[in-house]
Amino acid sequence: MEEQPQMQDADEPADSGGEGLAGGPPQVAGAQAARSEDRMTLLIRLRAQTKQQLLEYKSMVDASEEKTPEQIMQEKQIEAKIEDLENEIEEVKVAFEIKKLALDRMRLSTALKKNLEKISTQSSVLMDNMKHLLELNKLIMKSQQESWDLEEKLLDIRKKRLQLKQASESKLLEIQTEKNKQKIDLDSMENSERIKIIRQNLQMEIKITTVIQHVFQNLILGSKVNWAEDPALKEIVLQLEKNVDMM
Amino acid sequence: MSVLRPLDKLPGLNTATILLVGTEDALLQQLADSMLKEDCASELKVHLAKSLPLPSSVNRPRIDLIVFVVNLHSKYSLQNTEESLRHVDASFFLGKVCFLATGAGRESHCSIHRHTVVKLAHTYQSPLLYCDLEVEGFRATMAQRLVRVLQICAGHVPGVSALNLLSLLKSSEGPSLEDL
Repeated sequence: MEEQPQMQDADEPADSGGEGLAGGPPQVAGAQAARSEDRMTLLIRLRAQTKQQLLEYKSMVDASEEKTPEQIMQEKQIEAKIEDLENEIEEVKVAFEIKKLALDRMRLSTALKKNLEKISTQSSVLMDNMKHLLELNKLIMKSQQESWDLEEKLLDIRKKRLQLKQASESKLLEIQTEKNKQKIDLDSMENSERIKIIRQNLQMEIKITTVIQHVFQNLILGSKVNWAEDPALKEIVLQLEKNVDMM
Repeated sequence: MSVLRPLDKLPGLNTATILLVGTEDALLQQLADSMLKEDCASELKVHLAKSLPLPSSVNRPRIDLIVFVVNLHSKYSLQNTEESLRHVDASFFLGKVCFLATGAGRESHCSIHRHTVVKLAHTYQSPLLYCDLEVEGFRATMAQRLVRVLQICAGHVPGVSALNLLSLLKSSEGPSLEDL
């Protein structure tokens, strides 16, 4: 589906054929002059357009005359070829721009040479421009130097920070190894044989004393003495709890 | 004649024609209006189409630039574009085709991933432009841009050709490696 084409004439008023203009002769002449100038610009513009379009058609004709390769290439190969061709185009463009620059510079220098006799060296726009250029260049160099210095400082600080980090890293590593060593020592101590034997002996002694205490207690109880009155006897009977706690 | 060819007709004097292809009529109409408001030394003609192929019964001037408008909110628009791309001759893609992705502003409504469109543009070696056609300001800027591109494609700017512009507009990287 397609909608009707919409046209808009946004041209300058450059229509050929002078439609009736009101106003006195100078106005008419002025307007006509303006219109003929517009006509000229329009014609020049159209000429440029047609030239460009002609160039496009010519290049298409030239392109279609080239034989396309008959064999079927892989997509990757085609893409690689496209890239190569594009690079070629870029190189040609760059070379062209450089040559244009060189030509412009040559033209500029010859124009300068020709005009140099006419220009007084004391005051002229050219000299002012050159002085301004020199000042700007000095400023640029100064700022570049400053930025370079700042970057150096930044680099130094970063180096120091790195060194500090490394130092702290090594210290932490040391602390960790020390702690590990302590832990290992502690563990080994706990697991050593001597401690086990000592512990066993201790247990044995505790059991023996408990048995002896029980014997004393039973003796006292069995003898039906009133042990609550005598403090020494009371102590012996009640000592059992303490021993149990100690274990 | 179902395939569009770029140079099969002679150009009209001082005329530049653009073809907007897309499924959203309202957006296309608005874009067309903004383009016509732009002030340009040559005569502008804007054709709107929902999809290609165009009916051959209508007598139309030589088309200088085709813009495929893809709405990121609807998969149908992408499908439609892909279908229409088949009816365009290969020589059109030397700078006379452009993709316009709209609707990227509202992330939540996007059903097509941005990378799909990027890959599509990369496959066809054509520039991809982003614009939210619903916002007036962006639309006006995009219309300005399109008018300039159209002028170049129609040959109205001396010294710059469509192919030249294409190589200028190429981005230095294609779709990122993770998508390929």
